[in-house]
Amino acid sequence: MIELPISLLITSILGAMFAGFVCSTMGVFVVRMNLSSIGFCMSHAAFAGAAFGLMTSIDPLISAIIFSFVTAMILGPISEKARLESNVVIGFLFSIMIALAFIFLNFIPGQAASGTALRILWGSIFSVGYNDLLILALLSFILILFIVLFYKELLAVMFHRKLAESSGINTKLFYFAVLFFTGFAVSLSLRLVGGLLVYALIINPTSSAYQFFYDFKKILIFSPLIGIISCLIGFWLSLITDFPIGASIVIISAIIFAIAIILSPKRRRGNGMQYKKTLKAV
Amino acid sequence: MKNNTNVIDLENIETIYEGERTPVIRDVSLKVKSTEFIAIIGPNGAGKTTLLETINGLLPYTSGQGFVFGKMISKHRSEIRKNIGYVLQNFEIDPLAPFLCKDIVMSGRSGKIGMFRFATKEDWEEVWYSMGLVGMIDFAQRSIGKLSGGEFQKILIARALAQEPEILLLDEPFSNLDFSSRKQIEILLNRINDKHKITTVMVSHDLSFVPSKCKRVIVMDKGKIIMDGKKDWILTSDTINKIFHNGKGL
Repeated sequence: MIELPISLLITSILGAMFAGFVCSTMGVFVVRMNLSSIGFCMSHAAFAGAAFGLMTSIDPLISAIIFSFVTAMILGPISEKARLESNVVIGFLFSIMIALAFIFLNFIPGQAASGTALRILWGSIFSVGYNDLLILALLSFILILFIVLFYKELLAVMFHRKLAESSGINTKLFYFAVLFFTGFAVSLSLRLVGGLLVYALIINPTSSAYQFFYDFKKILIFSPLIGIISCLIGFWLSLITDFPIGASIVIISAIIFAIAIILSPKRRRGNGMQYKKTLKAV
Repeated sequence: MKNNTNVIDLENIETIYEGERTPVIRDVSLKVKSTEFIAIIGPNGAGKTTLLETINGLLPYTSGQGFVFGKMISKHRSEIRKNIGYVLQNFEIDPLAPFLCKDIVMSGRSGKIGMFRFATKEDWEEVWYSMGLVGMIDFAQRSIGKLSGGEFQKILIARALAQEPEILLLDEPFSNLDFSSRKQIEILLNRINDKHKITTVMVSHDLSFVPSKCKRVIVMDKGKIIMDGKKDWILTSDTINKIFHNGKGL
């Protein structure tokens, strides 16, 4: 087991909790808007950013954050303007990012630097500093405020964007806001969870919560809760086994998801539910 | 601002989808008075849905002039929409979708309540009233994905009614419904127009379900209005028979 000074331990635990909260809160919207591959795309953007940072002697973490954030920011306008499915644009951006990453890596002298770029992808238990913690806490607070203030608009947009638009809601604003906050959540969680695995922290807790509830409000409460629990248990697992923290968190969240699938009342026979029921079957 | 008695006033409207050259609707002029109940009928692809979405500003028109409540649609889109209830053509919903019926009905009022404001007791009373009106009050706590087609359609109508609209736009409200559900929706639409005096514009490709309270029928074909008149006259005309293959619908 890794021995940590108490202050570092508290910072890391709080960091894990906030990362779990912001990622799995945004997961509720990302999953509902069918943008599941956004995390995957941004993690590769982070990888490209880290490679760019090493190539230009900028802090690779800063450049990784900027790359993943900018990717989230241009995703919305591109899919709106080009009238393309968001997942098509995500696939397009993903391939560009991975291509850029390889080009940047090609210009980095020595293998040690490439290793630094790769470390951005799997995160580190010791990487969360006091400033990171403050920013994560601030983002968590802003997210709670955003959801409380705009709950009715968010629910309408998540149900059906065109219907929400027809009621007089500016749906574009909320769509972009979700992308904006997801970009922030991913960027700030990179240090701890790692770019490659942050994707799972967005998807798994929400998918687990979806197995139990039909009420959007409950999903918004339980998804972050599962995210925080996954991060805390993952953190503990990482301490006792010396596994990479990102991997530990993902393993725990995946186990929770598997248990949720098994226990899900929505999937039990005799519940009046068919997994693929359409309105045409009236 | 236009001062007249028409709640909907379109003059030579043409709507072209982005990236396309051919207009979906062209040279459409339509005047609708307050409390009127109108059915727009025509074969698939006639431009009926495009016309509805031009009225509520979801689709911008490319030429002509459009006014709703005397306000120019292109300039007052968001404001106009807050007073127009829109019921979309039946769409698929994930059976696991995490939404309760009461929340979906309340979502219809979101635009009206406005940003930075929370739903009040009065807003919820309007939700219960609308759900009661469509006979779905017992379904308030049910998941939206668990409803049958007819029930889902009633919830969408309740959602539009919760908005307290002055105009109700209904896109194919009878599609994919069995006979009994169609009958229930027809009775409901008659009651809404009769009791609440809401101007109703309904789109359908099926001649057999034009509600009895609907006195005026508009026929569209290939993006144009080709007939506009009293229901009895329109439904028995030869043109209708030609378009709808002996009145059986498409």
